[in-house]
Amino acid sequence: MVGKPLKSLGYAEVTKLMSELKVPVLPRHRNLSSPLGPEGRINKLRQTVTALVKYERIELFHNRADEARGYVERLVSDARRYGDQNKEMMEMASYWLLEKQLVHKLFKVICPRFHDTFDGPFTTAYNAPRKYPSETERKQYFKRVVLELKGHPFPPLLPQASYQGKYLIHNVLLDAAMKDYYQEKKLNAMQNKKEEVTESVDEEKELDNQIKE
Amino acid sequence: MAAHLRANIFRYRLSNSGLLVAIQKCGFSSSESVIEYRNRLFDEEKKRQRDNIGRIEKIEVRYIGVPKNETLIVNKDISTPYNCAQHISESLLRISAVAVVNGHQWDLHRPLKESCTLQLVNFRSKDTIGVNQAFWRTCSFVLGGVLETVFKDDSGIYLHSFPKPDIKSGSFTYDFALKNQNWEPSPTELKAIGIEMCNFAAQNDKIERLDVSHDIALEMFKTNPFKREQLPNISNQNNGIITLYRAGKHIDISKGTMIGSTQFIRKARIASVHKILKDDSELYRIQGIALPTGFTLSTYAFNILSDRAKKLNTIGLQQNSSEKNDNQEHPEESTSKMKQRI
Repeated sequence: MVGKPLKSLGYAEVTKLMSELKVPVLPRHRNLSSPLGPEGRINKLRQTVTALVKYERIELFHNRADEARGYVERLVSDARRYGDQNKEMMEMASYWLLEKQLVHKLFKVICPRFHDTFDGPFTTAYNAPRKYPSETERKQYFKRVVLELKGHPFPPLLPQASYQGKYLIHNVLLDAAMKDYYQEKKLNAMQNKKEEVTESVDEEKELDNQIKE
Repeated sequence: MAAHLRANIFRYRLSNSGLLVAIQKCGFSSSESVIEYRNRLFDEEKKRQRDNIGRIEKIEVRYIGVPKNETLIVNKDISTPYNCAQHISESLLRISAVAVVNGHQWDLHRPLKESCTLQLVNFRSKDTIGVNQAFWRTCSFVLGGVLETVFKDDSGIYLHSFPKPDIKSGSFTYDFALKNQNWEPSPTELKAIGIEMCNFAAQNDKIERLDVSHDIALEMFKTNPFKREQLPNISNQNNGIITLYRAGKHIDISKGTMIGSTQFIRKARIASVHKILKDDSELYRIQGIALPTGFTLSTYAFNILSDRAKKLNTIGLQQNSSEKNDNQEHPEESTSKMKQRI
């Protein structure tokens, strides 16, 4: 986002100071309404971040998932960057993770999971089906999302992509049909040409005969 | 609907045909009992081979593939790749069409003979060429079974053979002879045969394989003059052994691998019937097209394929006699069979 102008002015590159997030971030934060105001919003996000680190796959409403996703990305990438010896990093981790043992999990399980050169995104978000609205649950008809940490131990949500090759039977059949069609077209064109040539020859002969007469 | 269509086919049935005479000569009352006799012989031979095994030995099968590589200890000459799949995973059981044993194609229901490596192949596996061939061959085989049942007893139908499967030719075929030499099927009749084929496939019969001696095969096919003539040639090429396949009640001779079950044939359409001259006999060549389960094609694309399948498929015919021996599933002696039949 901030690129050439700052660097040309002599500032350090922002990505060297702060991790670059590989997930889309809105220009303005969501308020996530709460009676406690901004503090309540942060508390909600802390709960979600903790849950994601704890369970590694959670399903929730889109708003909160998308908002929390950026915080998780930032937390994991900072933890990888600074390690567990850094005091500020440790404070940050113990602030965002509400359970003490999850701080250990962050540094000892989640960070070593990613290769050194891998720089995100560390999470995946899938669109989940909504609940069909009913009279009692009309408010529940919001977009839902499944949010997961990469490298989790669960079976994949999406079926594995199957092989879509040219040797599958319908592709073989369609391919052969196409070749057959063009071959026939070519043959027809050649035959038409021959007929034209013979016709023109006949016409010339007729002309010759007329001239002779 | 199907019953109505079937009634239309009956229009072309002739009475007092050669088949009825031939069957009665052999001591059968109708073609139904011929089929039952064949099945009885098949069952007896299968039981005999099973009893001959004696002491059961164990072999080691190394399975390679999803969900994970495994080693299984199974019974020699009894357990089949299908049984191995039963031990591994139910979804694998459902989708596997053909097995690959030590790198060679192997029927799902054919007992394993020695310790080996095993792979199970489905229609969407990366190496599908062999499966497609097996599918096409099975379609021809099943079509033969349908033809045997769909005509009346006195129509004089004799199954001849089917050529080696070639998917690029656009259709699978079966050659057969009818008493009526001028049969021109209407579109309704073709449709009816296609529906019968789908019904046959929906029975979900497993396709069994059995190697029998020449004598037993001859006894099974003694009412069919074409098969009777083909048998010596086939057994000579194969050390006196003839490979039979059975799906439901239909038994036929075939060399190659078949898919494990008829349930894989989902959509079948019979495109055309042509009169052909093969080895000096006047035959009908019936051509069709089919897709396996899990393959969807738009009606437009499927119509393109079925329109192409209407053209005469020339595999194994006189026109390309140079390729004849390669292409034909069972090369036969060129003798006049129709004369002998009458």
